[in-house]
Amino acid sequence: MESPHPDERPQKKRRFFREESSPAQLPHVRPASPSKLQDSFNSAPSLSKIPVDNVVEHEGDLAGFDANMLQAVVGELPHATLVKLKDVSGSDVQRAVNLYLDGSWSSAPSYVSPTLPHPRVPAMQQTLANALKRTDSEASIASTPDSSSSTPIAPILKQMPGRRYVGSFGVTGWATKSGSGLLKHEEEVSIERQKDMPKQKKGLKRVVNLKKVDVIVRFINSRGEEVGRLENESATWISALLDQNVCIFKGTVVYTPDRLRTGDNVFLQLRAFFLRSAFDSRKFVKPEDNREVNLFEEKESSDERDLRRRQVGLVKLFEAINLTPTRQNASTEKHKRQGLLQAAERDEDRQKPKPNSNSVPGSSPPSEEAEEGEELEQDQLDSLYKKAQSFDFNTPEMDPANTFVMDLRKYQKQALHWMVGKERDESQNDKEESMHPLWEEYAWPTQNADNQAVPIIQDQVMFYVNPYSGQLSLEFPRQEQNCLGGILADEMGLGKTIEMLSLIHTNRNEVTKSDPSIPKSLPRLPKNSAVIEPAPYTTLVVAPMSLLAQWQSEAEKASKDGTLKVMLYYGTEKAVNLQKLCSASNSLNAPNVIITSYGVVLAEYGQVAKQDGNSGSHGGIFSLDYFRIILDEAHYIKNRQSKTAKACYELSAKHRWVLTGTPIVNRLEDLFSLVRFLKVEPWANFSFWKTFITVPFESGEFIRALDVVQTVLEPLVLRRTKDMRTPSGEALVPLPPRTIDVEQITLSEDERNVYDHIYLHARSVFNANAERGTLLKSYTTIFAQILRLRQSCCHPVLTRKANLVADEEDAAIASDVANGLADDMDLDSLIERFTSEGDEDVNRYGANVLKQIQDEADAECPICSEEPMNDQAVTGCWHSACKECLVNYINHQREKGELPRCFNCREPISARDVFEVVRHNYAPDDDAPAATQTPKISLRRIGLTGSAKTQALLTHLKGIRKQDKGMKSVVFSQFTSFLDLIEPALTRDHIPFLRFDGSMSQKLRATTLTEFTTSNKPYVLLLSLRAGGVGLNLTCAKRVFMMDPWWSFAVEAQAIDRVHRMGQDAAVRVTRFVVSGSIEEKMLRIQERKKFIASSLGMMSDEEKKSQRIEDIKELLS
Amino acid sequence: MAALPKRIIKETERLSKEPVPGISAVPHDDNLRYFDVTIDGPAQSPYEGTLLPPFGGVFKLELFLPDDYPMTPPKVRFLTKIYHPNIDRLGRICLDVLKSNWSPALQIRTILLSIQALLGAPNPDDPLANDVAQQWKEDQNQAIATAKEWTEKFAKA
Repeated sequence: MESPHPDERPQKKRRFFREESSPAQLPHVRPASPSKLQDSFNSAPSLSKIPVDNVVEHEGDLAGFDANMLQAVVGELPHATLVKLKDVSGSDVQRAVNLYLDGSWSSAPSYVSPTLPHPRVPAMQQTLANALKRTDSEASIASTPDSSSSTPIAPILKQMPGRRYVGSFGVTGWATKSGSGLLKHEEEVSIERQKDMPKQKKGLKRVVNLKKVDVIVRFINSRGEEVGRLENESATWISALLDQNVCIFKGTVVYTPDRLRTGDNVFLQLRAFFLRSAFDSRKFVKPEDNREVNLFEEKESSDERDLRRRQVGLVKLFEAINLTPTRQNASTEKHKRQGLLQAAERDEDRQKPKPNSNSVPGSSPPSEEAEEGEELEQDQLDSLYKKAQSFDFNTPEMDPANTFVMDLRKYQKQALHWMVGKERDESQNDKEESMHPLWEEYAWPTQNADNQAVPIIQDQVMFYVNPYSGQLSLEFPRQEQNCLGGILADEMGLGKTIEMLSLIHTNRNEVTKSDPSIPKSLPRLPKNSAVIEPAPYTTLVVAPMSLLAQWQSEAEKASKDGTLKVMLYYGTEKAVNLQKLCSASNSLNAPNVIITSYGVVLAEYGQVAKQDGNSGSHGGIFSLDYFRIILDEAHYIKNRQSKTAKACYELSAKHRWVLTGTPIVNRLEDLFSLVRFLKVEPWANFSFWKTFITVPFESGEFIRALDVVQTVLEPLVLRRTKDMRTPSGEALVPLPPRTIDVEQITLSEDERNVYDHIYLHARSVFNANAERGTLLKSYTTIFAQILRLRQSCCHPVLTRKANLVADEEDAAIASDVANGLADDMDLDSLIERFTSEGDEDVNRYGANVLKQIQDEADAECPICSEEPMNDQAVTGCWHSACKECLVNYINHQREKGELPRCFNCREPISARDVFEVVRHNYAPDDDAPAATQTPKISLRRIGLTGSAKTQALLTHLKGIRKQDKGMKSVVFSQFTSFLDLIEPALTRDHIPFLRFDGSMSQKLRATTLTEFTTSNKPYVLLLSLRAGGVGLNLTCAKRVFMMDPWWSFAVEAQAIDRVHRMGQDAAVRVTRFVVSGSIEEKMLRIQERKKFIASSLGMMSDEEKKSQRIEDIKELLS
Repeated sequence: MAALPKRIIKETERLSKEPVPGISAVPHDDNLRYFDVTIDGPAQSPYEGTLLPPFGGVFKLELFLPDDYPMTPPKVRFLTKIYHPNIDRLGRICLDVLKSNWSPALQIRTILLSIQALLGAPNPDDPLANDVAQQWKEDQNQAIATAKEWTEKFAKA
């Protein structure tokens, strides 16, 4: 092609040395080692003895060099050249052709060297070295296709020349110098990046440079003088490829003016060569999936930016050299490059407009849990779900294994069939090797731009590109095992847990019990425990803390005794070495199911990370390759950037399942995280996802994006909803009926006074702020007032107990309230009046009174004829009746404006003089002693047993106990401090109760739930709406009491569904207590108006929530 | 119609199982709060007929239990014409337990007994039928005679 210029070498060398003074840490760099290259250049005369690494692997002897063959290929050559080629190529003609064509054969290749040791190398190597470390450590955990190559270097890579021609293209450049004779037609120019970039060298690599990325690419004439630069358009991507050691380019001048002036156009033809190092998968950093998010980092990490530049570079390169893939995946083919570029450009744009906001560090740093992507509108979500849940009722069923003892409904058997099918997925194994869907296959060119043949390398006809990750490979990227799992997204209450358990029973590796040869190898420690061991008999279940116990008990309930070994793993028990326990050699004792929480996974992930990713020796969750992993309530990992999500991605298993009733909570990205966990290619690649889903969606192409989502979901998701009907019109799960009654509560006079007082205060605060237009500012204050109003509906004392509301939604607000109104004497005295009087000891009234009350206890109520009375109560003149009758009668008289009198003796009485009779020996089971001995009783003034609401609750509970001695009930309140006040009332009335709230430890929660479900006692379970709203199964109860309304009924409905769900075999009655003529009634109206308040589901920003609530508050206080 | 309260059911049952001598109260089939009542005029009173019950001296009344019974008293009215200072021409009765002295502890049975007692002890000082009360005060014998006459005339089976 061109002749060497040996005379110019000294100049070249000088440049080299100058550059070498910069500390280039090259020794640890593998394959296309520039240091070796330098050696070869510096000691040019002895070239023949030094393996020219970038060209050939080894030298051979000189015998049998077929010069004719060579010349037939490349054309006539001078004799000297032939000799040299012989020398260098080791008599291998093919190699010689190669050498000749890429020009590296010559001893003085002034045009070869410049690009390689370019100044960014040191920094670059640093990154690569780091990256290498990282990918290696990850390699043992993750089984992603690219990181699994833990072999030092692929053999096929060794055979590749240091660089290989892929194609050529024309570019325009412009001169930076004036003068004549600077360039000649056909002159070889070298293409180089900016020489000195001191800033970049000094600056930390991680710091993202927001200034326009330096893309200057120079071309240098054969004398080593910089002559000009490439046009920016092409320089942008060429620089990226140069910087990232993907390519080198060599140029030939196609056109140049004889006399160059600065700014003149120069046309060059560039030949692109892929560097061998670009194909080395070990060096490749795939940053985008697991990137660390730190506070000062910009939206796009430098890794991500590099990736993007590399992607764009590759796509543009292929475009420029007009190389099209010979094979690519059909599903990725459709949208393709255009989308990829679009996505990248969009990122670019996104970075640009806001350098200002970014220059203020910490002004609004993205929080770690910050999510990206736009939220879905509710109707979009709905239609998406609708598409995803076209469930065919005729899908085949499958009976579970006989070790599974529960009865499955039809649709559950269908789920089992589907899941087993997914796990076995035989078809995939039979298919011939298919290419990984993200990759594209390209053929190495056989001719150069001048239609001359380029050397062909044995067995290397094709190469492969992954445009989404920017990876290159020489090896055929095999389609990794298809995802052998999926998303079970049946709606809550359809029995996802049971379906999963049936799968665990039905599709499992048979323990080698039947095979007598294997058990002889008794459990032994794996020699090198640094690797993760397969656990072929174990399914790992990861669930939220509150559900662990439930999983365990369900698993045990569903299994024939001894057929399923279940283990709860809390991580803290360091004595347990999971790896030893679950390894294949311990098959007889390995647990079949390990249940653990997200918290444990996260904690161990942190520990493993500390040990440099040595997950094997940790002996914990990450040390095993499970047969199956199940993530329950998988929306826990909906944010792909959360640490929990990342930890879960790293768990390895053959089969991966996620269970969730809401695969998409409010963003399409929520789904990505699940897909990422499932390792569904190609969608588990965020770049790919972004390209085909996020970008179209955000740019308004909803239909297209949702269609794509649907194609993602279709094979992965099984979703049925409760209101699905079979073709014959039956409900999928016939649940017993559920009735919800709203019970109006009338506050007692004293309570009313407290309420009115707070109400007036709240309204004056509101009006004052409304006038001044400072509603949003004083949001906290006003909202605090509302909170107080709601509390006073429950129990006046609540408004005073700032310290008890700690776990409630607005603890801070609550304490504000307490402080703000501390000097409010009126309120204090009102509340005092409410609480002042305590129990009366009946004994001071003498024995005959006691006797009389005693005698009347079993009599008929004179008012309602109940026998015995409901809650005996007595007047001050000691006449007994049902409490309710008595109170009603007094109220009745009062309403008519009459002085209340005793129904019996017509003595004037007041509401205060009515006493409830409390028996202290209450024992429903032993009825014998009641007749023989006088039970101790005491009297308690009615109206002081608590608030109107607690009284109403007690009345209900007592009524229930009359009807059905064993009936269990559940009481929800959003105020745990209200639950605190209900407790003593229940104690007084000897109603057995249990408590479940967020402050309890996992073990305590578990025992509480077990006690509640298994005991025969007619327990009342007091639950905080927060802690009890999710996941729990409380089907043993039949009655639900909602003590206070929440802003959105959806939240209450969720809580109710804890009881009214699959497994419930009786009608469920729900009572919602609402104080009449109060803010609570108005809240119900708001609930009605918008059945769905987004804020309650976390779909609004804080600001939006506030203004939304202000709207509500206006209504509430109107 | 709302379900009948337990109290009314019980009272009705008891009225038929353990009837009060001289008094009967039978609910209508189509309205269990509406009772046909008969009260025999007490012995040695102007309301005791010459023919003994059931052939004479039997007064018919109607009794209705309002929705908020027993918070409010039953409504009772004589259907049989009666000459009595506390009972007017329309059959309305002036009796404290049917008004201000009502108590939910009272029942149909006790109310009817009170009415029976009222027949035995007319109280012209707290009249409802003023003309009758006047007569009763001015010429008690004549009044009693009229009462007897009316009893013979109207209070028969």
